[in-house]
Amino acid sequence: MNIVVGVSDMVVSKDPDSVLITYSLGSCIGIAIYDPIVRVGGLLHFMLPESSLDGDKAKRNPSMFADTGIPYLFKSTYDLGAQKKRMRVAVVGGSQILDQQGFFNIGKRNHMAVRKIFWKNQVMIDYEDIGGNGNRTIKLDVANGNIWMKSSGQEYRKI
Amino acid sequence: MHDITKIIDHIDRLKPIPKVAHRIMSIAEDPLSSMADLAAVIQYDQAITANILKVANSPYFGLRRKVDSIQQAITYLGMDQILDLVLIHVSGGNLKGGQKGYDLGIGELWRYSVSSAVLARRVAEIKKIRTSHLVFTAALLKDIGKVVLSNYVGEYLDEIASLVSSQNITFRQAEKAVIGIDHAELGRIVAKKWHFSERMEEMIGNHHLDDHWDDDDIEMCIIYLADTLCMMMGIGVGSDGLAYRFHRKVIQKLDLTEKDLQIIMASFVEKMQEVEDLVREA
Repeated sequence: MNIVVGVSDMVVSKDPDSVLITYSLGSCIGIAIYDPIVRVGGLLHFMLPESSLDGDKAKRNPSMFADTGIPYLFKSTYDLGAQKKRMRVAVVGGSQILDQQGFFNIGKRNHMAVRKIFWKNQVMIDYEDIGGNGNRTIKLDVANGNIWMKSSGQEYRKI
Repeated sequence: MHDITKIIDHIDRLKPIPKVAHRIMSIAEDPLSSMADLAAVIQYDQAITANILKVANSPYFGLRRKVDSIQQAITYLGMDQILDLVLIHVSGGNLKGGQKGYDLGIGELWRYSVSSAVLARRVAEIKKIRTSHLVFTAALLKDIGKVVLSNYVGEYLDEIASLVSSQNITFRQAEKAVIGIDHAELGRIVAKKWHFSERMEEMIGNHHLDDHWDDDDIEMCIIYLADTLCMMMGIGVGSDGLAYRFHRKVIQKLDLTEKDLQIIMASFVEKMQEVEDLVREA
């Protein structure tokens, strides 16, 4: 059963029948994590890099920002028995509009935020597909940890 | 290159726009129009009345009392909201389907069009623009050309994508180079065929600001910004992806900071569920 993860949304699951999917990542970033031993997976679709933009919004919806969404994603999988050291991690999205260098380049900022948080917390990224000007869809099969990705106008491919 | 005449002839296969739409759009384009003008147009149109009542009672508006007459809807929601609802109602016919050529599933272009209109209206309010209904309407209808070009763009997708990546041009420029016409240009022709105002033709035709554009045209800047924000949030993004130009000048003209833009995005996403309700109900 497909469980759709919307913009600024996060879902974790240990139900082997569930497939977590997030559609159409523009400058947003999707992070899929999976612990193959306990077969627990999670998918986050965050939109903006830093929760300092609006603390109230971050409290209401931590999945909106990288710095609140990523800890929320990992902690929620720990609650289901997952462990950080076993986690497989895929990061996709962060696209840019042509010529969007520097100013208002949210895609790039989002990516930098992920890198910073993962570096600080010693999380290794197993797969990354970031930037460019396409949009991406990512899905995670909780039964086996398989991750599929689709870029603009193309078919799904397993990563 | 494709036979352009054939593509243009395809416009006639669109669902005809309801007759009442032109009167509604004239009201939307005139900042001096009144609630009485709007009421005079909609009160005898059963389909519009029924739709307004349905949407007025949807979670999007969160009214505590059930609205069961058009007068009540006007009292509770006001002219701005009613006009937006009517515009959404008359525009939906052609935008609600899927556009396979652009890899857009059923309802995706519609969700994008409504989101874009809601965002454009928000920016118009922030900038205190009096013509917020004009901006709302143009944002809602600006990609009507995609509905027609979707029937042709699919077969040229590889060629278009390769031009975009090899020559750093926009998807729209590549459409023009490969097919001979692009979706915005086609949208302008639709607007002309449907007897929209010249201003609406211009706004639809140049919504990507790829041609020479007048940077004093605040309304165009707002339409463009709403489109850009939707693309970044991945709303209604198909095979064209984010392959359009970013014009920093627009943001400077609107005197918005990056923080302002992020707040607009964050606030919009918080209301996303309500927008989804609007998309579904309208």
